[in-house]
Amino acid sequence: MSLFGKITNSERQVLNVIIVGCGSVGTTLAERLSAEGHYITMIDKDANSLKRVCDTYDVMGIVGNGSSYSILMEAGIESANLVIAVTESDELNLLCCTVAKKVGNCAAIARVRTPDYVDDLPYLRTRLGISMIINPELEAAREIARLLRLPSAISINPFAKGSVEMVKFKLPEKCTLCGKSLMQLQDILRGVLICGVERGEDLTIPGGSFEFEPGDVISFIAPVRNTQLFFKRISIETTAVSSAIIAGGGRISYYLAKMLIDEGIEVKIIEQDENRCSYLAENLDKAIVLCGNSNSEDLLLESGIRETQSFISLTDADEENILLSLYAKKATNAKVITKIDRTSFHNVITELDMDSVIYPRYLITESIIAYARAKHNSLGSSNIETLYQVFDGRAEAIELRVDQVEVTDTPLMKMNLKKDMLIACVNRGGRIFIPSGNDCLMMDDTVIIVTKHSGFDEINDILM
Amino acid sequence: MNFRIINYILGWVLIIEAAFLLMPFFVGLYCGESSATAFLIGAAISAAVGTLFVIKKPKDTVFFIKEGFVAVALSWIALSTFGALPFVISGEIPKFIDALFETVSGFTTTGSSILSDVEALSHASLFWRSFTHWIGGMGVLVFLLAVLPMAGGSQMHLMRAESPGPSVSKLVPKTQYTAIILYGIYILLTIIQFILLIIGGMPIFDAITITFGTAGTGGFGIKNDSIASYSPYCQWIIAAFMVIFGVNFNVYFLMLLKRFKQAISGEEFRTYLGLVAGSTALIAYNIYKNCNMVEGTLRHAFFQVASIMTTTGFASTDYEIWPSFSHVILVLLMFIGASAGSTGGGIKVSRIILLAKRARQEIRHYFHPKRVTKIHLDGKVVESEVIKTTSAYLITYVLLFAASVLLISLNTADTTTAFTAVAATINNIGPGLAQVGPTDNFGFFNAFSKSVLIFDMLVGRLELFPMLILFNPNVWFSKRIKKNI
Repeated sequence: MSLFGKITNSERQVLNVIIVGCGSVGTTLAERLSAEGHYITMIDKDANSLKRVCDTYDVMGIVGNGSSYSILMEAGIESANLVIAVTESDELNLLCCTVAKKVGNCAAIARVRTPDYVDDLPYLRTRLGISMIINPELEAAREIARLLRLPSAISINPFAKGSVEMVKFKLPEKCTLCGKSLMQLQDILRGVLICGVERGEDLTIPGGSFEFEPGDVISFIAPVRNTQLFFKRISIETTAVSSAIIAGGGRISYYLAKMLIDEGIEVKIIEQDENRCSYLAENLDKAIVLCGNSNSEDLLLESGIRETQSFISLTDADEENILLSLYAKKATNAKVITKIDRTSFHNVITELDMDSVIYPRYLITESIIAYARAKHNSLGSSNIETLYQVFDGRAEAIELRVDQVEVTDTPLMKMNLKKDMLIACVNRGGRIFIPSGNDCLMMDDTVIIVTKHSGFDEINDILM
Repeated sequence: MNFRIINYILGWVLIIEAAFLLMPFFVGLYCGESSATAFLIGAAISAAVGTLFVIKKPKDTVFFIKEGFVAVALSWIALSTFGALPFVISGEIPKFIDALFETVSGFTTTGSSILSDVEALSHASLFWRSFTHWIGGMGVLVFLLAVLPMAGGSQMHLMRAESPGPSVSKLVPKTQYTAIILYGIYILLTIIQFILLIIGGMPIFDAITITFGTAGTGGFGIKNDSIASYSPYCQWIIAAFMVIFGVNFNVYFLMLLKRFKQAISGEEFRTYLGLVAGSTALIAYNIYKNCNMVEGTLRHAFFQVASIMTTTGFASTDYEIWPSFSHVILVLLMFIGASAGSTGGGIKVSRIILLAKRARQEIRHYFHPKRVTKIHLDGKVVESEVIKTTSAYLITYVLLFAASVLLISLNTADTTTAFTAVAATINNIGPGLAQVGPTDNFGFFNAFSKSVLIFDMLVGRLELFPMLILFNPNVWFSKRIKKNI
């Protein structure tokens, strides 16, 4: 494939990406990565679903088994930079990455989600040379656990290995912030940076004269400690939940229950399938496993939904999850978290009053895109530490390392920065602060940037 | 229907055509011909109308297969209409229907002419006639895809509608680079042929126009006797390149990647070469009595087989005087056509292979009615969907063919003329037999018959369905259900 390599070497390095498996995650990845200009080749055994993807996005499809040598050769593994294996089967994904590593000189990402392999992950990564192993269920469980620790938040995205976080919460009816402008609140807002306010459909990055209203959904970035202090100052509850009811006993439930039990939280799991119930009971000693249909109102009441502090719907059916959560919102004051698998009808779902919603698919695509961006930029050392899509994909929050002299040692207010972009936080050797106009960036800082532009992959992208 | 995006694509096609029309203008200018201005005027009109269409970029750039097909069909109609203007403006082909026939024949790489004396045309017009073959061979929208970056994956619908063959595959993941590579191979082969013809002592202008005609598998000559007056060396070169341009371009791409084994192992490729060789041998044996020269016999047999099978339509000799066995072989080759993914027309060798295998499968079923069989091509199972569309293609093809012959027969004296006139146009070949043979032309048909043949040429080039979809009323009228308030 040297031919088109030559044509496209002009500007930036374009990645040749092979995605094995065009299920929902594969499709989302194809959409996002091809939009960023990479060459995508998809491999799947099912010609029909492959055709659907190839008709919608600018990608090439090859029908066949992604772990077969000849199919990988046909897909151009020799010139590929990145192989992503996201088929249904963990074993196939691992095999595919192993073969790909042997044949081509490329990075490999595998999706592995069976709990059996969770403890093997470090081994798999080092010995098989797989660059990244993603477990969407584990990621989702982690995110849910984070939310249960701070139930007042709608979402929490950690940066800088968990020392900084981006928190989204809804302003309650009676709150000290309401009716006041940012200028008046300087004292209360110290140590946090408000980076976006959603009011209905509108998203604003607030200026000094912005006034808060009840019902506003506020996103701010702050060091973890400051979040707690800030919430206390505006008298919002910060205690973690002490009990949880989980509807559905899938893999996310298993991982989540395990985490919660370790933190000493009382966990009840409602699961319909008897075999699955005994599996859960075997492996989760302290959990209360209830065998029954979570759709039944009686069972929910019997399990104590009125008294619980949190309710998490994790069944396989999105519709059921939505229904259960809406019921739980009505019946209790508990923290309600809903898992939704599909990405369509997003706008309808956001209109429902649902508290927190978790999209496992977005979690996994975000981390892969971040990896691809980092690779895109340097084909080696990574500049992007973390990437999140925020405000329903209208903006990105990126953690970048400063490694270019163009941006250092000049006060931020004197630099020619892009519009629609915010430098939210700087981490200088462990000291975390929110930069003002007089601050300068220094080498080896990591900065968190919130931007409406997409495609940032190095620190110089902040300049005009 | 997203007509905004269709208009936008149409606009770009017209702007590109304006750029193409400047080429004959420069040729005319160089030769000091008065007809050159006609091409400048044509280019100006085309550019003006095109700019009107592209001035407003549509917000919604997503389009589906229906929009892709309609856009391609309308582009080809627009292309032919505007391409015909210079002939009318310069007065060289005064009647619009004749000019349109000539241009459609050019763009669809048919090569049927209504002119009785080609040599009377100006150089600019001759150049434009041949140049339309070259543009039409690979396709205008493929060119558009190569030069105009469009967002999203839906461009594949455009490529699918314009590229010949039962299934269109990408060479590389990006549609744009697939298009660039296809044109790259096309231009490279064109240049090689041009150089080889120059080495053979052909005048530069003749070499350019004949190379364009060969590359697009078109067949417009610039002499009344087509290729007959050129040297045997040139005829061999032209014949060989006709065969080369009738091969699926994927083969050349694989060769560029140095995957020679995979390139030449394709079933279609082998069948195609086998058919060329077999037909040449049969015809050479059949006409040896008339000719009595080994080299001449072989050359004429090979040239005519290559010309008809790749649907080019050049002639190195008047094959009307050949015995009827040779005629029948040539008529059969007309229908088989070139390979899928080449610049040639016809039903395509790969479709013939699929249909033959499907027939064999049906016969086998009589022996073991419960037997499960799959059709393989190149060692891979062919999707039943592909077989279904191929069968539908054949049925539609036969029906259209029959209807066209019926309509044309109102205007002709004998059946052979009606039959081969339609066969020559719907398969994008050029000359037929009897009154439309290699030494005759299509000028005697009335306007109605010409319109039918123009339609046949477009239908044949775009593989039936993109043109036929225009007749579906849903394209033009969107059904609205009135709400009772």
